[in-house]
This record gives sequence, structure tokens and C-alpha cells, in this order.
Amino acid sequence: MADSLIRVENIVKRFGPFTALNGVNLEVFAGEVHALLGDNGAGKSTLIKTLAGVHEPTSGQIYIEGNPVNFRSPRDATTAGIGTVYQDLALNQLMSVTRNFFMGRELTNIFGTLKMDDMDKVAHDEMVKIGIDISDPSQAVGTMSGGQRQTLAIARAIYFGAKVLILDEPTSALGQKQQMEVLKTIKKVRGYGNIAIILITHNEIHAQLIADRFTFLSLGEVIGEGKAADLHGPDIRRLMAGGAEIANLEQELNAI
Amino acid sequence: MTEAEISRSESDRLDEEGFVLRMLRRPEAGAFIVMIVVILLLAVASNGLAFNALGLRNNFAIIAQFGIIATGAALLMIGGEFDLSIGSMIGFAGMSMAMMMKWGLPFGLGEATPAAAFFITLIMTLSFGWLIGTIVVRSGLSSFIVTLAFLFFLRGLTEVCFRLLNNGSTQISGLPDFKEQSWFAEIMGGEVFTWFYDIWFYLGGNLNRKGEQWVTGFDARVFWWLLISAVAYFVLSRTKLGNWIYATGDNKEAARANGVPTNKVKIGLFMNTAFCATMFAACQVFDTNTSDAAKGNLQELYAIAIAVVGGTLMTGGFGSIIGVVFGVITVGLVANAVFFIPWIDGSFFRVFLGTILLAAVFANESIRKRITGGI
Repeated sequence: MADSLIRVENIVKRFGPFTALNGVNLEVFAGEVHALLGDNGAGKSTLIKTLAGVHEPTSGQIYIEGNPVNFRSPRDATTAGIGTVYQDLALNQLMSVTRNFFMGRELTNIFGTLKMDDMDKVAHDEMVKIGIDISDPSQAVGTMSGGQRQTLAIARAIYFGAKVLILDEPTSALGQKQQMEVLKTIKKVRGYGNIAIILITHNEIHAQLIADRFTFLSLGEVIGEGKAADLHGPDIRRLMAGGAEIANLEQELNAI
Repeated sequence: MTEAEISRSESDRLDEEGFVLRMLRRPEAGAFIVMIVVILLLAVASNGLAFNALGLRNNFAIIAQFGIIATGAALLMIGGEFDLSIGSMIGFAGMSMAMMMKWGLPFGLGEATPAAAFFITLIMTLSFGWLIGTIVVRSGLSSFIVTLAFLFFLRGLTEVCFRLLNNGSTQISGLPDFKEQSWFAEIMGGEVFTWFYDIWFYLGGNLNRKGEQWVTGFDARVFWWLLISAVAYFVLSRTKLGNWIYATGDNKEAARANGVPTNKVKIGLFMNTAFCATMFAACQVFDTNTSDAAKGNLQELYAIAIAVVGGTLMTGGFGSIIGVVFGVITVGLVANAVFFIPWIDGSFFRVFLGTILLAAVFANESIRKRITGGI
């Protein structure tokens, strides 16, 4: 088996007296979608923020392509090849697609002015590559659909060298059709073969549709993991709920 | 579902628009139309007086004055902050320069040249701009309240300095005309674009009663206004820094997550408004050779109002320097209208400003809603 692209070993993160992560292990391979599941408060957000360089782990080690890395800032993580697409997408609605795509990493010529035509072309081409043809890269992001925005944020992360793509609930707050668009995008990125995708979601159907591996978190610890082929709907549902039995949810609801 | 429906994609919903419609939807459109209306009304109501040789010169003097500070205020607003200290900064800078020209350099360093007075003053005002910006970004307080504090602080400081160091008087007048000896005073307070009036004269216009050339040039501040506007336009639309200013004003957290140094951008913009206020004061001091503790009073509010009339959003992230130029011309012309239309009450200027300001806020808000999808 190939070496993992990113490996997390025994990560502990404490905020004062509160232990958010208690020795979490995670291994993600290139060309795979790794679903990170768990109830609210399970530690998913803390884990991805640690990977993204927002938090420094209290103890434990992160390895990228086998080399130990320490992130002091989000910038360090980006440089090391971790691209995080947060729920709010870090987009500016009033600005154009191109200006958002290159925000903070603009292309300039020797006079220091923007190469707007080149930037328009790159933004357009990169979006087309993963499946959305925006006819006008100078249109404001505010006029785009939620799915298109998600695609823009993903395309941007990949273009700027993300080897590990972290997607934080990319399908929440979207309509059915747009959810499908985003799933298709993720599948396309998976098809590149050289990018590892960590997918955080509350939607078990989406996870089952595209994930190769699962890791379940509960109360800061890993309570289950496995390949998609070995897991079945009821297992996934039970583990997502932190191990609690929710099979009789229907009965409980009926009793009210 | 039919085939036709399936083949539609999201991007098909954005219609291609014709040239006229596209121009009308630009943020500058409203300001442009109002400007044209004002120019026409003024030309008719003043019997052309407002646009004869002297009228043009006087109108552009006040337009440029507003323009210098409104451009700085607009850039800062696009970056997501306000500066209410502009007027007091003008008073402070004017006091500082005039005092040095009258009493010499501080700490007994001898006679001051206009350039030395200007640059020492600029160091002080830029420091104040830096301080204001740093307080705003470090504390996270609203710039409204921080700069309101500096509005009082700087105005008070200006008056105190005058009384302490100028024999108790809060004004300086009767300074010699430095423009004759100093090229620096000349480029600040002298005349520019004299070729414009020369050509006008050769073409048979621009004559006084004796038949000689009447007006010789525009105030130097017109040049500075055009330069500051051109640089601001270039920076905003063509440079990395411009993208950072938009990004910082629109959504600071998103900008920061993408590596934009938002704090530095904001501090820089506060220093830029301080620079604009200093230019305003320098043009005034070296043009009139006077200074007064009350100079620049209320200018910060005009600057903000003009930026809004020009299409700048109060919430940041959106605005256009071309729109501000239209706004400045409109407001400047109306402010001066009383000199060309004898029967009009000068206070109608503020009635007019209040009205178009309100109209502009509504127009800007609808533009913002359209862009952000009605949120």
C-alpha cells in the first residue's frame, strides 16, 4: 500500500481544562476521499483547525508525505500543501470571481500591476477543469449559486498547491441539485489521483456516495474507522451519533 | 422534464447586457447623471457666469479642495473604515505649517523653508494617521468612535498650540508670499495648467474689460486633486494593493484567511487620509498665506458625503474613484453656486447635499443588494 499523504499521530489538543482531542490518529491517502464524521462537539472542527494551522496541538505529530511538520500559522499549513475550504468559504461577495480567486496571491507583472487578463483566464480555466463554466470571471461572487461558490473555493485551493484538501461541510446549506454539483466536483478532484480529500459532513448519504474511508469521532476520540466497503448504513448512523443507538428513533418520536 | 430544461446551466441565468444598460448599472451611473443635470442647471441659472474663465477657476478650486479629501475618505471607506478626524487634521496641519513659517522650525533649528515645514508636518500627521489606524485595528473598536475622539483631540490641540506659541492668537495672517522665492510653495499654492487659459486667450476668449488676458491659470490644488484621483484609481483597479483594499473592506476574515495583511492595509489607509488632509492644508496655507484654528471644520463630513454620493458603500468593499470624481464635481459646483446665482440662498447647498446624500444611500443599497443576491 502506498504511503499516506498526511498522517496524524496521537494528536492531543487541550483548551485550558477542556480536552478537545484526546489522542486522535488519522491517515489519509492520495486519490481518496476520507470522511470525517461525528456529532456536534465531537472534535471534528478542532481536528481540521489543527491540520490547517489555526491551532497548535498540545502534543502529537502531523506528518506530510512521511515528514514531520509543525504549523505555527495557517500560512505554514498552506505552504505545506494543506488547503482548507471552510463553511464560509472565505469569499468576498462584492468582488469578482477572479479577484476572489487570486485574493492575497495576485499575479503581477514587473511594474507591480495586476495581470488581469491572465488572472481571468486562469480563474475561468480552473473552474472549467472541475466542472463549472462561469461565462464571465468578472461577475461578482454574490451573483453565484452556493454550489458555484463552493467550486470556486475548491478550485482556488487546488490551484494554489493543495495536496490535502479539507472540506468543512461543503454540502450543508445547499439545495439538492447544488449538493450533487459539489459531490461531482469532489469526485473529479478525487480522480486527479494526487490529492487527498478530508470531507467533514453530517450527511451520511453523501459520505456513502463518495467516501473511500471513514473515521468517526466522538468526544475527542476516534470510536471507529474503516473502508467504505466494510461499513453499512446502520453502522455509519450509529457511529455518527457517537455510538448511541438511534435505531428506535422512530418509536421514540411516535411516543411523543 | 424536457431536453431544453436539462441543458440549461446556472451560467445561462446571467444575461448578456447591451452597452447602455451595462453603463447604467455601473455604480457611477447615478452620480454621473446628477452631475450632468447640475452642470446644465447651473449654466442656465447663472447665465453662463459659472463657466466663464473666472467661474471655471473658482469652481475648480473648491472642487479640487473637496476632491483631495474625498478621495482619501473613499479609499478608507472601501477598506471598511471611517475617518472623522480629517477636518481637525486639516486644522492641525495648517497650524503646524503656518507656525513654522512664522516662528521658525521647532527646537530653535532656525528659519523654516516651505518644504521643511511641509515635510515635518507630514511626519506628524502621518504619525497621527498611523496611531488612529493602530488603535482601530488593535482594539477592534469602531473607527467612528476612535476618529471622533481624534476630531476633538486634534482640534483642541491645534487651538492650544496656537494660544501657547502664537501670542494667544488662534490665527496667523500676513505671512509673506513664499511662492515668489520657493518652488515648493509655488507647486502647492501657485497656478497650474496656465496653457489652458493661454490657449483660451489666443482663441479670443478669457478677456478682461481692458481686453487683456483675464485669468492666468487654475489653482495648484487642481493638479494635486487630479494626481491623487489618478493614483487612487490606478491603485484600486490595477494593483495588488487595490485588491487587498476591496477584500479588507468586504469581508476582513475572508481576506485574512487568504493571506491579505488586513491590519496593514487599514493602517495604511488611515495614514493616506492624513496625507490627503495635509495636502489640503498645504494648498490652503501656501495659496492664502494664512492659517486659522477653525480651518477644515466639517470637512470630514463633506468628504464622507461626497464619497457616498460617488457610489461608495458605507459597509465597505465597494466603490469607484470615477464615481467620487463625479460626486466631487457635483457637490463642488453646488457649494459655489451662490456666487454665480445672486438670488439663491447659500444654505440651499446643504439642503441639496442632504437630499442627494439620502438618494445616493438608497441607490447604493440597491446596488449592494443586487450584487449580493438580495441579502
